[in-house]
Amino acid sequence: MNRSFRTLRERRDKIIEDERTIQLQERVKNIRAYSIKNMDLLIEKVVKNFEKNGVEVILAEKSEDALDALYSIVKDESIIAKSKSNTAGEIGLSEFLEDKGVQVVETDLGDRIVQLDPDSNPSHPIGPASHLRMDDIVKIISNEFNIDIKPEPRAILDIIKQDVLLKLAKCNIGITGANSVAADDGSVITVHNEGNINLVSMLDIHIIIVGIDKLVETIEDAVSVVKLETIFASGKTVPAYMNVISSHSKTADIEKILLDGMYGPRRVVVILLDNGRKQAIKKGGECLLCIGCGSCIVTCPIYNEIGNEFGYKRYLGGRGVVLSSFIDGNQSCFDSGLFTCTLCGLCTNKCPVGIKTNNLIKNLRNDSVDLNIIIDEHKSIKDRIKKKGSPFKQ
Amino acid sequence: MIIYFRGCVVREKLKYISDATETILKRAGIDFTILTNETCCGSILMRTGFKDDAKEVMKDTLKKLEEFITKDDKILVSCAGCYNTLKNDYNELFGVNLDVIHTSELISQLISDGKLLVKKIPNKVTYHDPCHLGRHSSLYEEPREAIMEICTLVEMDRNRENSRCCGAGSGVRSAYPDTALLVAQRRIEDAEDTKAELIVTACSFCILNLQNALKHRMNELSDDTVDVNKSSINKVLDISELILMGLEDEKIGN
Ligand code: SF4
Repeated sequence: MNRSFRTLRERRDKIIEDERTIQLQERVKNIRAYSIKNMDLLIEKVVKNFEKNGVEVILAEKSEDALDALYSIVKDESIIAKSKSNTAGEIGLSEFLEDKGVQVVETDLGDRIVQLDPDSNPSHPIGPASHLRMDDIVKIISNEFNIDIKPEPRAILDIIKQDVLLKLAKCNIGITGANSVAADDGSVITVHNEGNINLVSMLDIHIIIVGIDKLVETIEDAVSVVKLETIFASGKTVPAYMNVISSHSKTADIEKILLDGMYGPRRVVVILLDNGRKQAIKKGGECLLCIGCGSCIVTCPIYNEIGNEFGYKRYLGGRGVVLSSFIDGNQSCFDSGLFTCTLCGLCTNKCPVGIKTNNLIKNLRNDSVDLNIIIDEHKSIKDRIKKKGSPFKQ
Repeated sequence: MIIYFRGCVVREKLKYISDATETILKRAGIDFTILTNETCCGSILMRTGFKDDAKEVMKDTLKKLEEFITKDDKILVSCAGCYNTLKNDYNELFGVNLDVIHTSELISQLISDGKLLVKKIPNKVTYHDPCHLGRHSSLYEEPREAIMEICTLVEMDRNRENSRCCGAGSGVRSAYPDTALLVAQRRIEDAEDTKAELIVTACSFCILNLQNALKHRMNELSDDTVDVNKSSINKVLDISELILMGLEDEKIGN
């Protein structure tokens, strides 16, 4: 993981000093700050504009609401396809569907590999398999498909692709996340490099699950956000694909009669998830400025050693720890690694939108101690300091 | 006058740092007093969630300092954590502006003012920026200037605001010693890449953690017969110790 992260850092460090990137960064900071400030208005607008465009929209307050809504759509399916989504990870979508007997096919190569490996979880938002070495991957694949394959990237890609395509042919429903959502236009932007979202979003029904924090005003704003995300995540200015989805597929070419689902989906359903985000906004909302670039975990010294143990579900590293307190409460925040952080500030240093994650963590520690969710050794140190002015035992 | 606030680590674990600092101050003819009844600066408490206890302890320490110092006094610290806390956190919490100076700043001033004469030593050293001094207090150049007065400085790939944390701070070393060690070992590797012989830093807490990692590294390497001499680093030093090496007729107090 350290090696993949180093290459990424070197490539990225050049482009983030570019004048244009700096300007874009300023723009995006304003866009995100506006969104957090005007969340209720944006939600109101996006619901109206989605409906105008023929996109169904469901507001989900909690994980369970999102899962219920989702299940009512997929309940008759035996298999569905999915692309990478932190929000889906947050609500435990795959586990939920598998429990209900609906098979979920991950379509991102890295995620698919991780899905086939019983022992691992994604380690970077864009490079979920960066903690696995070639040999590990070969082992995972030979176990799954009962074949011998060469430790060679192309061979691995081919076998996964073939298998995923076969399974996709059986799917009627595709689930994706969204990288940014434009409220005034009623549009969703997704970003990907593999082209898998092109396939998943063309199935009969396309379900998009997204947190309300992804809302911005316009498509132009949304493009700015995803462009900056791409720059900080990959060191490139653009991803292979940015899809803008504002409606289901339709045609009126036969006597002006409107028909749904020409080549693309008949229905597009957006599930907008709150799950503690409004609560986070009440407390300042700083952690929701995040554009999900993963830059903070690339530089995080703790993450570099212990990986996704530090973070909450697919929200990796310190920023995930902060978010977990709003989604899941203080105990969960503690379990995600509230006290594993050295407050070194490297995450803050390279955050494109200037989130001071180390300060947020410091403040959450105060809350945690108030609730008596503490590290025992810290309490002993505190007692010694108060008793004899020194943290040390002897 | 200089009031020397040694900090708990130096006071109780790394006394040779205060010895080195005192020697330097005497050599430069600086009028100084050691704050003998010093209490905790409050940094650890503040960063492990005990905000009320921290405030209590900090108020007490502030009272002691205010009783002791006059308006022309400077508070000298060896530890980057004490520096950040006394200088920045006390300001934020109590609105006071303590005149705090880190040993690396003072030493670099003394050398450039010609008050401290040092001779060149042949060693090649690399400098580890403590988070509290660097990213949190923007003090990057003074330690480097001091180092370059006496020997060759080679930078690690990750330096200044990008410096990798040593892994010890904010209660991580006491709560998760294994993780703290892993991070410090990675920092030792960063330093090895420069082919320097010494890591110099300016934080007593970083020193504790990096020394521990270096010890593990040495043990690891002595088990490995093929690569015995791979680590170029043989010591982690405080900046005061390095300067001591450049003072004639002085031995390292370690
Ligand atoms: S907190 Fe900042 S650096 Fe981390 S993922 Fe979000 S935007 Fe990127």
